[in-house]
Formats: sequence, C-alpha cells, structure tokens
Amino acid sequence: MKILIIEDEQALNASIVTYLQQEGYTCDVAYDLREAKLKVADLPYTCVLVDLTLPHGNGLEIVRMLKENTPETGIIIISAKNALDDKITGLELGADDYLTKPFHLSELNARLKSVIRRRQFNGQKTLRAGDLEVFPESAEAQVHGRKLTLTKKEYDLLLYFITNRNRVLTKDSIAEHLWGDHIEALDSLDFVYTHIKNLRRKLLEAGGEDYIQTVYGIGYKFSS
Amino acid sequence: MRILTKTSLYYLLVSVVVFFVGGFGYYKIMQVEIYDEVDDQLFTDKENILAYIRQNNRLPNVTSGISEAILVKQVTDASPVLEAISDTLLYSAYDEEHIPYRRLTFTTQQNGKYYQYTILKSLMDFDDLFESTVLAMTWIFLMLLLGLAFVNYYVNKHTWRHFYDTLGKIKRYSLARHDPLKLRPSNTTEFQELNEVLQSMTDKIHSDYLNLKEFTENVSHEIQTPLAIVNSKLELFMQTGNLTPPQARMLEEMHTSVSRLARLNKSLILLTRIENREFRENEEVPLHELIEKQLEQLQEMVDMHGLTLLPPQLEPVFVHMNRGLAEVLLSNLLLNAIRHNQEGGTIEVTLTPAQCCIRNTGEAPQGSAEQLFGRFMSGSNNAGSLGIGLALVSRICAMYQMTPTYTYTDGVHSICIRFNTASSSK
Repeated sequence: MKILIIEDEQALNASIVTYLQQEGYTCDVAYDLREAKLKVADLPYTCVLVDLTLPHGNGLEIVRMLKENTPETGIIIISAKNALDDKITGLELGADDYLTKPFHLSELNARLKSVIRRRQFNGQKTLRAGDLEVFPESAEAQVHGRKLTLTKKEYDLLLYFITNRNRVLTKDSIAEHLWGDHIEALDSLDFVYTHIKNLRRKLLEAGGEDYIQTVYGIGYKFSS
Repeated sequence: MRILTKTSLYYLLVSVVVFFVGGFGYYKIMQVEIYDEVDDQLFTDKENILAYIRQNNRLPNVTSGISEAILVKQVTDASPVLEAISDTLLYSAYDEEHIPYRRLTFTTQQNGKYYQYTILKSLMDFDDLFESTVLAMTWIFLMLLLGLAFVNYYVNKHTWRHFYDTLGKIKRYSLARHDPLKLRPSNTTEFQELNEVLQSMTDKIHSDYLNLKEFTENVSHEIQTPLAIVNSKLELFMQTGNLTPPQARMLEEMHTSVSRLARLNKSLILLTRIENREFRENEEVPLHELIEKQLEQLQEMVDMHGLTLLPPQLEPVFVHMNRGLAEVLLSNLLLNAIRHNQEGGTIEVTLTPAQCCIRNTGEAPQGSAEQLFGRFMSGSNNAGSLGIGLALVSRICAMYQMTPTYTYTDGVHSICIRFNTASSSK
C-alpha cells in the first residue's frame, strides 16, 4: 500500500515515514505543493496525508485534485491551524479525516488504518491477532469464536491496540485517543490503567492470551 | 460629585458669604449715616431753642423743627450735664410697643434759673428702612442665586458637553472590539487637547495590542509544528526495544510534558480565536440537547470518579450562538464539576430559559470568584489541570453577553450562567 506524505517540515515528515514504514507501508514524500501535485498526478496512492499550509499554496488544492482524478484515494488532512472552518471545508471537499498538530503517531496510524479499511471494499473486514478477531464494521470482537462483551471504551481501546500492534503506546496517547479533549479533567492515567485491566481480564476469561504487556515506565504494548 | 454640582455649590457658598458680609456692611453704613443726620437735626433744634431764648428771653412753648417732643424741666442748680446724646426706648400707647428714640439732653439758663431740655427724635423710620433693606437684599440674593445657578448650569453643560461625550466614548471603548476611538472635535482648547492626547494614546495602545495579539497568535501557531516534531521523535524513540527502565521513564515523562504543552497551546489558540471573534456562524443552539449529549459522554467519567449525577432538570432552551463554542462552554463547565469534586460527591445540572446552573460538591475554593475565571488559576491539589477551562467559559460568556456567577455554600460549588434575555428564547 502506497502512502504519500505531503508535509513541508522535513523532521516531522521523516518521523511519519519511519513509523509507517515499520507498519509495512510504502511511503512517498512531498515537501511543497508543486511536488505534491506532480506526484499525485503521476501515481495512484492508497492514502494521502496532506498538510494544509504548504509552500506555494494551500493543501486543500490537493484534496480537490484527488477527488476529481482518483476518488478512491483516502485523504487525511494534517493541520496546525485547528481552524474549524478549515476542517469543515476539508471534510466537505471529501477528506476522510482531519488531524491537528501535534498528534501521536499511533493515533495517525489508527486513523490511517481506519480510512483504508473503510475505503477498501474488498479488503480485510476482520482484524486478526492470534485467537482474537475484531470486526470493525459491527464493532465487535471475539476470541475462539466466542463473542466478547466489551464496553464502548474497551472496544475502542482494543481496536487502538490491534491497529498499533507490537508498538509501545504511551498512557497519554491512549487517554487522548479514548477521551479526546476531555482528557484534562481526568486523572487520566489511572483510568487508562483501569480500562486496560478490565480489557485484559475479559480477554483472559474468554480464553485468549495475555496480549497486552506493560512496558515499564512508558505504557503498554499489544503483541501477537 | 459632578463638576456641575460642585461649581454650583461653590457659587452658592460664595453668594451666601457675600450676601451676609454685604448686608451687614450696608446696615452699618446706613446706621452711621442716619445717626449723623438725626444728630445734626437735634443739634440744629438745640441751637434754635437757645437762639429763641436769647432773643425773646422766654422759653419756647411750641415745638418747632423736626423734633417729636421737647421736655423742659427746671433744675435746682446747674447740673453737670450740659449736653448729652443717647438712644432710648419709649412706650407708645398708640402702637402698643416700645419705639426707639434718639435723645439730646442739655441745660440752659434763663432769668437765672436752670432748665433742662430733652429733645427726642423717633428712629422708627430707620427701623423701617432696615427692614425694607433686608427684604430687598433677600430678593436680590434669591434672584441672583437662581440666575447664577441657571447660567452656571446651562453654560457649563454646554461647554462641558464635549468632555462628557469623550468620557462616554472612553467608557465604552474596548481594545478587543477593533473599532478605533472617534472623538468629536471641540472648540474648547483644553478639551481639544484632551481629545488629541486620548486619541494618540488609544491609537498607540491599540496598535501595541494588535502587535501583541498577532505575536501570541503566531507563536501559538508556530509552536504546533515543533511540538509535533518533538512528539513524533519521542514516540519513535520509545519504539526502540532496548531501553533501560530509567531511560524509559525519562522518555515517558518528556512525552507527557510535551503532550500537556500541546494541549495547553491548543486551548490558548482557542482562547485567542474567541477573543478575535472568529466564530461568527451562529445558530439557534438547543442547549438542553447539548447538555444531554455531553452528560451521556461524561457519564463514564462521572462513574469512574465515584460521583453521582443527579437527574438533570432541563427545560428546552435555545440560545443564539456558535454551536462549537456552546459545546466548549458546556463541556468545560461539566468537566470542572467533575474535576473539583470529592469522593462520593454529586453533580446537579439545571437549565431554565433564564440560566444554566451546575452544582457540585467539593472542597472550599481558594481565591476569589474573579480569580477563578482568570487564566491559569487552579486548585493546588490538581496538578494536572491547566486552569484554563473557566477562562474559556468567561470569554465565551462575555462574547454572548452572558453573566457567569460563582457561589460556594455548605460544601456546594455552583456556577450559573445567566443568559442574555435577547439571545435566548424558549
């Protein structure tokens, strides 16, 4: 799967590329609007990550171009502006998601996978990790064919883990994924712990393995 | 005290003093003049009497001249009183009162006998004069006062109108509102100077304010990208397997701090954007629906904190405002109620067309209500909170002319947002 990352900050661009390459994607980069236009016109991409403030123009042009030429390409806007109107314009033009800088790479990865999953009609409908199966369309999960009764948050957590499998996830990024802007109000890290404890228990009770490991000092890791 | 009242009072004070001093002086001068005149006449009468006696060698038997009465009394020998002048009161049977008189007493000799003459002149006329003087002065005083007050009030009002105009405009002036101060030119030099000084001062402040705001905006926006870079690098770093536990802990701490900084920055950007009035798209927002939705989302958090959400009492209320800001407003209020609560505490939400109140149990607050709505004010036992939530609440309220009030009674915090009646409708 080919991903194009259009981002003028080289350091950030490199980080994204590294993370996504580890996930098995083929990554292409563009640092300004002109380069991006050329690449987009040249090759079909599975998904394009586009920053809105680019040298030589606005990233929304790319969104427009992609929608006209290759509507099957997924689009995620990355912007530092967090302007509501930009977000609305972007989504109206046909972008699939909108992410505000700064973001967690694990969050970007989760969103990217979700976009690709939604766009590929013939792609995999099920996420599998050992005995565990997750069905994003119905928001369900099962172990050994036995359905798990998960709360919405636990399901979200599981999906987040499974899309970032074998990755170390910080408690902070998990909390932000689960509670978004509300994270400030929480003693969030304790709640992350509670949720993970419950999820682990449910997986074990259903006869699954202990997929979720604690990474000392940092957070958690879902290995399979 | 208004300057008009003040000058009017001074006018009055000076007028009273001038009236009394002037009246008293006038009275004294009149008195001296009248005594002079009366005494002159008495002495003239005396000379006439003496001349008559010398001429005719007998006592005059009829009164002549101005004297009202002449009394003659034979005295045995030459009394030492040759001539004396004094005031006296005599009872008048006709007027039934004592009447002041001027009296001249002198002794003369006729045929070797001594006679004492007493000539009297009534001072009744003088009393009348005094009374009418006081009356006239009082009238003059009153009319003068009235005239002065009138002239003072209207002249001042006219000349000071530019001043009050300027004052009113400055009172209403707000830096955040972007429209420059426009003062009406005045032909009074002082006021014109005042206007010019104010004008250049506010222009300067306004441009400084804009610069500062632009700077803050730019900084907030520019910070986002480096933060994103640091964040992503830290994340990649954490993925490398062979970290020692202390290294891992350090990385996690760095990552948490960067995330916190990023959220803080996002809140600041939101705050700036509210101040810049960038949220112009308003609609009739159903607050009751928004509250229900938010409570649903927050239910989990409420449970996790071991709190009880009392059944909310929500009347249908529509407020004309930006939907996004309404969400920010409500979620900040509700999160605040969760955050500053205590184990086993409660949260109660009521919504009426007049106001929205959120009450929660919790420890007594530190600092005043005004401080609470300021930036970076947070209770000391909540290290993780940024203290920016209520600042956002107060900004949004200010934008829609809502009034946030805070009270703490019997262990219950209550924050009420009173709606501007013009913008809310049932």
